[in-house]
Amino acid sequence: MSNKFFKNMFKKKESKQQAQSDSSSLKNKSINNHSHDKKLISPDKAKFISLIEKESNNPSDLKTKFITEDYTLFYIENLVDSRVLNKHILPVVLKNPNSSPSELKFQLQIPEANMTENLELAILELFSGAALIHKNGYPTVLLAKINTRESRSLSAPENESQVIGSQVGFNESLSTNESLVRRYIRTPDLYIKKLTVGKISNTTVSILYLKSIASEEMVQTLQQRITDLKIDALLDSSFLAEMIDDNSLSPFPQMLLTERPDRFCDGLLNGKLGILVDGSSMAVICPHSFIEFFQSREDQNLRWPIASFLRLLRFSAVFLSIFLTPLYVAALTFHYEVIPQSLLVPLSESRALVPFPPIIEALLLELIIELLREAGARLPTKVGQTIGIVGGIVIGTAAVQAGITSNILIIIVALSALASFTTPSYMMGNVIRAIRFPIIILAGFWGFYGIMLGFCFLLIHLIKQSSLGTPYTAPFYPPRWVDWRDSIIRLPLPLTNLRPTSSRAKKRKKYEEEPIDPEKS
Amino acid sequence: MIKKLGLVILSLTLLIGGCAEQKLLEKIGLITLAGYDLNEDGKVVTTAVIRQVDPEFQSMVTTSSAVNDSSLGALTEINRKTTKKLMQGQMRITLFGETLATEGIGSFLNTLSKNSSTSSGILLAMTAGNAKELLEYPYKNINDVGQEIYKLIEQNVDAELVTSSTLHEVSQDYYSVGRDMIIPIIERKEEVIEVTGVALFNKDKLVGQLPAKDSFYLLLIRGKFKSGKFETTIPGDIFSSNQSDSSEPVPVVLDTISSTKKLKLTDKNVPEFELQINLNGRILELDAEMDFDNPVEIEKLEKAINQSLTEELKSILDYCQEINSDVFGLGKQYRSQVRNSKLTHESWHAKYPTAKVNIKINFKILRSGVFE
Amino acid sequence: MKNVIHVKPQQMINAFLVFFVVHTTQIGVGIHGFQRIIYQESKQDAWFSVLVIGIVSHVIVIVMIKTLEMYDSHDLYGINREVFGTWIGNFINVIYFFYCSVAFFSVLINYIEVIQTWIFPLLSTWFISATLLLLVIYTFLGGLRVIVGVSFFSFMLAFWLIFVLVFPLQYSDPQSLFPILESKFIDILKGAKAMTFTIIGFEILYIIFPFVKDKKNIRKPVHYGLLVTTLMYLAVILVSLTYFSGEQLSKTIWATLSLFSIVQFPFLERFEFLAVCFWMLIILPNLCLYVWAAHRGLTGMINISAKKFIWLFSCIVLLLTFFIKSRIQINSINNIFGQVAFYIVFIYPLFLYVLALVKKKLTS
Repeated sequence: MSNKFFKNMFKKKESKQQAQSDSSSLKNKSINNHSHDKKLISPDKAKFISLIEKESNNPSDLKTKFITEDYTLFYIENLVDSRVLNKHILPVVLKNPNSSPSELKFQLQIPEANMTENLELAILELFSGAALIHKNGYPTVLLAKINTRESRSLSAPENESQVIGSQVGFNESLSTNESLVRRYIRTPDLYIKKLTVGKISNTTVSILYLKSIASEEMVQTLQQRITDLKIDALLDSSFLAEMIDDNSLSPFPQMLLTERPDRFCDGLLNGKLGILVDGSSMAVICPHSFIEFFQSREDQNLRWPIASFLRLLRFSAVFLSIFLTPLYVAALTFHYEVIPQSLLVPLSESRALVPFPPIIEALLLELIIELLREAGARLPTKVGQTIGIVGGIVIGTAAVQAGITSNILIIIVALSALASFTTPSYMMGNVIRAIRFPIIILAGFWGFYGIMLGFCFLLIHLIKQSSLGTPYTAPFYPPRWVDWRDSIIRLPLPLTNLRPTSSRAKKRKKYEEEPIDPEKS
Repeated sequence: MIKKLGLVILSLTLLIGGCAEQKLLEKIGLITLAGYDLNEDGKVVTTAVIRQVDPEFQSMVTTSSAVNDSSLGALTEINRKTTKKLMQGQMRITLFGETLATEGIGSFLNTLSKNSSTSSGILLAMTAGNAKELLEYPYKNINDVGQEIYKLIEQNVDAELVTSSTLHEVSQDYYSVGRDMIIPIIERKEEVIEVTGVALFNKDKLVGQLPAKDSFYLLLIRGKFKSGKFETTIPGDIFSSNQSDSSEPVPVVLDTISSTKKLKLTDKNVPEFELQINLNGRILELDAEMDFDNPVEIEKLEKAINQSLTEELKSILDYCQEINSDVFGLGKQYRSQVRNSKLTHESWHAKYPTAKVNIKINFKILRSGVFE
Repeated sequence: MKNVIHVKPQQMINAFLVFFVVHTTQIGVGIHGFQRIIYQESKQDAWFSVLVIGIVSHVIVIVMIKTLEMYDSHDLYGINREVFGTWIGNFINVIYFFYCSVAFFSVLINYIEVIQTWIFPLLSTWFISATLLLLVIYTFLGGLRVIVGVSFFSFMLAFWLIFVLVFPLQYSDPQSLFPILESKFIDILKGAKAMTFTIIGFEILYIIFPFVKDKKNIRKPVHYGLLVTTLMYLAVILVSLTYFSGEQLSKTIWATLSLFSIVQFPFLERFEFLAVCFWMLIILPNLCLYVWAAHRGLTGMINISAKKFIWLFSCIVLLLTFFIKSRIQINSINNIFGQVAFYIVFIYPLFLYVLALVKKKLTS
């Protein structure tokens, strides 16, 4: 990615605030019909065939079928449902050879059929799986949308497993995913806005939100950001999320990627916006604050004291994961004074045989753990487990016996690796693991002072970030005291009745009539 | 681009230029204990117990000593004899020889407090005789003499058998007006080291010693005492139902559960103090037959205990006044009660030997164990 | 009214955040060793000095808010120009600009000295100041919202340190506080004046006022901020007075850090090593807010972008840290700065208020 690209992104961000609703919707349309140099459908049959062949580069899977003398059918093989084509389209056309395309439109027994004069749109639809029906002498074409989409069946979410709660995950089909969401939220209030992104890939992107709850302004901003994207192809939602982040340079994700429909719907119900991308099994939820990355959907399913305990555990795991190894390095390199008497002997004895300074030792071991994790992620599941055992036992014990690491450090590194896996968001977990390395280096150079430098830098960085224009450190800063009840702890439901301030929801209360008013209590 | 380059150069200079000095745990020798003595020439003999990590021996403890005018200078001397750089950050104990203590240890306290790498929690103790001899003796059962002494004193402090003598507490007394410092005395008895007494100071000079069992009274009056065991003797004739020879004094072991102390200046001209001590406790051992259900008997026993405690306390107080060491903090009480006293160490120690203390002890027996 | 500051709503901060701003600007490097300075004046009654200066600071703040409310959306720089005219006003503003800069500088060098004395005796001064300045630059460029955010988190993440005082409390002896009020009243006042360097910081209110969203509600958070600071200092001085004996305290340069020295956890000893480094988080809002205040003053007089200003400012500060090396130099800077700060923070607001009142009467 070039610098120029980022600069454009930042400029775009500034203008976003003032972006007005009508201008953005105009832009939205302009993708579909370029009003200036619009190519029109030729009424002449032969001319039209050659036009189609020219515009579509005449691929081998383009099928042209002459149904009657006047009617011609175009479709891409394998993209259309041949059963529907043979049963519901061909007989109808054959039965009414004299009706005009617009008359034919009403006779077709298929869910969606449109008329268009625009050739480009027709080509686009052709490649999305529509059958084009053209009648000689008419400057329009009938688009019969009978596409098939092979997709895998619904399965349990693999990366975000949880013990209690629904066990279904999104799959790669946009329509399936939308239907999943609709099944959770059955209301006309659920709005789905469709956009097309990518000059080549023409990927459909849906923005989902609850009309009566989500903030209009935020919807506008999000839509603006997506339509402003000038990219060739969009293959996955994670790419989209990075593109439309407030600060793409930050290692911290500012939008949540989830494959759980329940987590997605939870976000929508809290007044957030959701994005589904066709062909991607990960949905995007925004705005999302830093702390919410460490909250699991499961927390809502557990009793509140247990949920609070788990959240505290998870949050302290983050600190443990980032600072445990650096503290070891700092203490052994610079601050031997802080080691308690009882730990001094075991520590120094375990270090006695190690030829490297603690920083090298720690980096080496952290690297091994990361390699193991990465290898486990790339390999098939069955082999991956073996790698874990091989890595854990063989490398671990061998390293200690060979005297290149101390066994205390192995415990520390393993503990911090373990802690980093408790983060319910894979993206955030990766960040937590990665930022450990610079802090280890800082600790190796300047001890506690270095760690504090790293900590302060991280803190300032987090304060500086925003997610879709809302503060990233919400609800802590700017302080929204009421929202603290559902942050690193989760209080009972009557007390957490309000939607988070950061989503700027139009309705703050989740239940209209509640036993306790949290604002007053 | 230039800006980016500038940032890279900046961070590189920071990385290279600003490296802090390393104190790798395995590359340094840790002084866990330092002992100071005074030799015949008036020079300081420093003995250090050093723990160092070695790939071959895992960890080893050595003792090394040097003679120099100053304590830190001696450490430099010792450093010449060791393979690793010596650091004081893990020092736990500082020992003073008896001769040095008699000369005064004020300058050592000052040096230790000044040094940012030594903790203010290190324990101070005095050795009966020479510290060097105590440390360099080849003990059969003790591997690490530094750790051994540290654990010994720490255990005794926890059990409230001797006063806590951390550097902070000792220098708190040293720099205060109206209370003198005390530190425990340790001594080698054949193959073991034990706490044998308490050293009493006047300002920074050793002026007297008390046996270990008397440190209970010191703890009691200094107000640090919470609970602990102590032993006293009472006259045997108080037991009416006693068949044994009644004239023999009977030892009794008591365990205090709670205690309160009140020290008050009643007359600032004499000066005269009133010391009221209330103790609640139980009897652990009593070498006599006694009926614990009889309130009269109990009262008698309590009275006897009170009297014997008062007597012992009085004798200790007299001894301290005789050697002019105000370890009880009477001066502190005087200063806090007399406005604009402008008390100095000298002016108080002129008054102290003639000070009068009226002791009132009230011991209450709460329990007597599970078996009569 | 050309001196009115127009602030965009996004840059405004809520009134209650001023609590954190005031409190964190007050607490800084001064708390490391203020005990001995007051003790020299008012002995065991030093805590009365803290109480006195605390009350005085409340009074000054009342006057400050009254002055600010007279001019709706002005900061001190604007008010100076309104009251004294552009020329004299700007002259006073230059003084105030230098005051803020020196405050920044003095916090920086004091912290550097603590780092060097306690942890890294050989770590070069320029390195510590460069790294701290980089943090300040990074924060400063984020604007006021980020600066206030840093001070908010600084309070939240460092507040627990006050509970560490429980450890030294076990060794303390309340007897040392008696007899109460033995010192002369004038000595207590002298002690209070010696507290100046430690308690200043609330003058930031003068600068931050136009940036507050709901200006009517500002009194409560400011006074609470001052109260918490005073209580904190009171707690520290009381523990110090009882933990150390008299002469010991007057010999202890950083009494607060020495208090931490006795703290032991089963997994960590020598707590002061951690505390000294952790203090970075406590001085960071100090530095950021002072440099921000200095920048506000300068932008009113000359046109300089924030980016240019902060880099230039940092370079100058970095160069100056090369010249300050010994304890004596730092001490004399602290003393002179404390003297000057006393007049700027405690006397000038009264003077300004009276003048502003007179001017208002005359013009109406």
